[in-house]
Amino acid sequence: MQCGLAISSGYHTSLAKMAAPTFDFVNARQTFSESIEEARQNNESDKLKQQSTAVDGSEAEKKVALDQAFRDVMMNLVVKGSGCEHFTALINLSIEAVHLGICSPATPFLLLSDVFESVTINICDKVFKFVEERVDTWKSNVLYTSGKNFLLRMCNDLLRRLSKSQNTVFCGRIQLFLARFFPLDEKSGLNLISQFHLDNVTSYNTEQLDGPLKSEDKDETMEVEEGEMSAGTSPIDYLLYRKFWALQDYFRNPTQCYIKDKWRVFQRNTKAVLGAFSSLKLDDVTASKSQDETPTEKHVFFSKYLTSEKLYDLQLNDASFRRYVLLQFLILFQYLNQHVKFKGAQQVLTDDMSQFIKTTTETVYDLLKETSPRGEEFAKTIQHILSREEHWNTWKNEGCQSYIREKPDATQVQPKPRARKRSLGEELRINAPNKKIDMGSPELTRLWNICPDNLEACRAENRIFIPTLEDYFEDAIEQADPGAMIEQEYKVVNNSNFAWCALRLLARRSPYFFQTITSTQAPVKSVPSYLEMMVTKLAKDMPQTSIEELKTEAVVEENDDLLKGGEEGLEKSNFLLAEEVDAVVARLGENWKTLAVELNFTDEEIGNVQTENLEVKEQARAMMAAWLVKEGEQATRDELSKALLESGLNDIIESVLSDNGKTDL
Amino acid sequence: MLHVCDPLQESCCFSLWFQFFEMALSLEEEIRRQRQQMHMTVYAQCISPNGKYLVAGNNYGTIAVFSITASLSAEANKETWKPLVSFKAYDGAIYALVSTEKFLISAGCGDIKGWAWTDVFQKNPKVSWSLSLPASSNFGAFETNALAYSTKDNVLYSGGGDCKVYAWDLESGTKKETLSGHTDYVHCVSLYNQSQQLASSAEDGSVRIWDARTSGEAVHIIEPHKHEECARPQHGKWVGCVSVDAGEEWLVCGGGPSLSLWHLRSLTPTVTFDAPNCCPQVVTFHEDSIISGGSTPFVYHWNINGDPKTKVPCTATRVFSLAVNTESESNKVLCVSGNSSLIDVYTNFGYRAFSLDFC
Repeated sequence: MQCGLAISSGYHTSLAKMAAPTFDFVNARQTFSESIEEARQNNESDKLKQQSTAVDGSEAEKKVALDQAFRDVMMNLVVKGSGCEHFTALINLSIEAVHLGICSPATPFLLLSDVFESVTINICDKVFKFVEERVDTWKSNVLYTSGKNFLLRMCNDLLRRLSKSQNTVFCGRIQLFLARFFPLDEKSGLNLISQFHLDNVTSYNTEQLDGPLKSEDKDETMEVEEGEMSAGTSPIDYLLYRKFWALQDYFRNPTQCYIKDKWRVFQRNTKAVLGAFSSLKLDDVTASKSQDETPTEKHVFFSKYLTSEKLYDLQLNDASFRRYVLLQFLILFQYLNQHVKFKGAQQVLTDDMSQFIKTTTETVYDLLKETSPRGEEFAKTIQHILSREEHWNTWKNEGCQSYIREKPDATQVQPKPRARKRSLGEELRINAPNKKIDMGSPELTRLWNICPDNLEACRAENRIFIPTLEDYFEDAIEQADPGAMIEQEYKVVNNSNFAWCALRLLARRSPYFFQTITSTQAPVKSVPSYLEMMVTKLAKDMPQTSIEELKTEAVVEENDDLLKGGEEGLEKSNFLLAEEVDAVVARLGENWKTLAVELNFTDEEIGNVQTENLEVKEQARAMMAAWLVKEGEQATRDELSKALLESGLNDIIESVLSDNGKTDL
Repeated sequence: MLHVCDPLQESCCFSLWFQFFEMALSLEEEIRRQRQQMHMTVYAQCISPNGKYLVAGNNYGTIAVFSITASLSAEANKETWKPLVSFKAYDGAIYALVSTEKFLISAGCGDIKGWAWTDVFQKNPKVSWSLSLPASSNFGAFETNALAYSTKDNVLYSGGGDCKVYAWDLESGTKKETLSGHTDYVHCVSLYNQSQQLASSAEDGSVRIWDARTSGEAVHIIEPHKHEECARPQHGKWVGCVSVDAGEEWLVCGGGPSLSLWHLRSLTPTVTFDAPNCCPQVVTFHEDSIISGGSTPFVYHWNINGDPKTKVPCTATRVFSLAVNTESESNKVLCVSGNSSLIDVYTNFGYRAFSLDFC
């Protein structure tokens, strides 16, 4: 590494010399190195700044020289074998220099990677602690853009250097640091195309072991020399042993399952292993005992399986080993079942395969559940985790969209609802003259504009759903007649639906409803009997109303509500009869003109009537006829008497109109 | 070709005919063999004294020797799971096998036969000696259902169809004692570890405990079907198996009545091992547990306190014999046989590793 440093510094030297012959790079580098050394010891970065301004040359030139000087100093420190606090102090100094703008932002990172490349792992560990502590510094704007690639490369180099089995903690720290350093959507650490870690081969004993008996020997004679076997080793089921470890290859590379022959082998091995697992029940008693003793049992973790055949029997009896393997099955099945973008076209499950996977998954979950301690809980957790894995997979299938919502998006989304809220009232006002209100969607607008006036729409005839008492109780009244000879149980009043509707209708339409409740009579026993009582009451009312209905049919149609319990025949008096009009005309005489004025005739019209008719009586008659034609239905007795009153013709009112009884006046 | 009268051709024709005849014969033989295999029941098993071989006897009177070591080796395959040697020992079924230091002893319908291990290992088995039962029924010799061998005094005990238990002195080859008292045929005989006592169970529903030194009456009689805890009238009262633990404190027996553990000093049942619909045919103490098999396709492991440990599936639908190889640690397996030509081997007692094929 030192060699590498020397070469790079040499390169810089020549470059600087060529680029700027006036700038004395060698000298500047020398003076900078000294001042860095000084500043490092006194911890004063300002001095460095002063020094830097003191030297002639362009900013860029001086930066290059200072960068190089930093690296020289670092090299010296490494050669001298200084402690890690010296390294960190120098790097801190370089960071300050970056902030002062006298050296390039990449310098601290270059220094770091120089250190990591040239010291032992033990010191790396300590220096890395410094890197971890300063994660905010690295993330600052000045350093991040120029430094992120350096840091990533540095960390990856370090990871490659570390042993995967010995330095697991350090490896984990580096990974954690990377996770903190890079934003959430950084994809550099992502297995984008879902590759498998194919190098993770689990090797096991596939060799033909030297059995204590050679098959050739025993064909000759079965006599066996004693003491050939080492006593104390328990028998090994090599068949299952091989089947079991052969499965690991499928877990390593699941795509093998899509090859027909391999799948058949996989299927056979899976059946054998799961069969053994389900047959060999683990001892619940010992497991629960150990759980009681050490509830927070420290979990042992191995990154690799131990595959010695001598351990196999013990492994079969081990609950956590069994869990590992069962979980491997689940992960494999999850992969096989999932839609993964990077699967090949021929990598599709056949029906048989999916059926097998389905049943086997169930078996695996059952096995997990009965594997103590706390098997149920474990199985549930695994199920949950695997469902989370599905999200991850869909995220990757969708091309790893960023989790971080972009800022412009957020600002766009927010004002929108506000603007809409404000405009809703305005829109109504704007659209009011058109009587067309935009509801947002065309269909809603259409529905709303069928009848913009809501109250009117509610009053529409086709919205009256309540039947009249008579219609509704028609059947009940018929049945209530003893002559109809209907059995009690078949009467509609016994129908609960009928009864419910009937009660509601009575409450709205019948005066008897509330009377009975407030009456002092004994309370009614049951709804049917009450209804029957009501029906008889209604039936008594019915004939009269029906007769009157015939008489005043037209009126009823117009004012249905007024008719109920109101005074019939009132409206009749408002109609002018022909005799009355004749009588009025006869008494009007010369006064017809004043009445005509009151009846809203214009002078021109009065003049016309005068010219067309010679006699006064004729004129009055013509005027009244014109009025009747003009007003039509509005030509009522009230109107006429009002007009007569206005024109001071009270006598006519008394003689003609009051004869027929009531007027409102 | 045929009408060319060439003597050489003619002899060729003959040999063809002969071959065809032979083929037909061998085909018939093959069919018979396969049918026999389908209906085979392996009633008895025993382990050779060095712990390397398993000997099994079936209902056709054939004895087969399997190498446990070879079948457990890494290169084991279907071939190594077949018998090394098999030979016809009886006309009828073989019900019991025991092994002594020098001899393999078999019993079934007829005499009790001794085969020297050395002859068996050299694939040249021959009857070294035989013991004939004293009485015979109207239909020929009584069958012997159970054997037990006492190493200490070199005495063989046998029990069978004549409702008696005999003690044979193997040194002289003579009958030492006759223990009579059972009123129906004897199913099982089990020796005590230390004291000179033995227990026998029979179809009459009783377990009788005998003092082997005298030929008198039974010392104790246990009748499981008379105890409410284990009686199962629907299955009958017969007692199919009996076993006494090494400490001579407990006795386990079962059959029609469910499997139950008896305290020997008080002669009371302490716990019953409840396996519904299973009539135990064979039971043995192994380490701190009890292993039993019977009329269901499972091997049951029980804790001594009555809790079921596990229930391990096996090939045979009825289990008649369990053999634990205690002779050799490296071959410590459990072999289970029953009404199938396959003998299941359990390396880890929890699951069936493979099956030996009695063909």
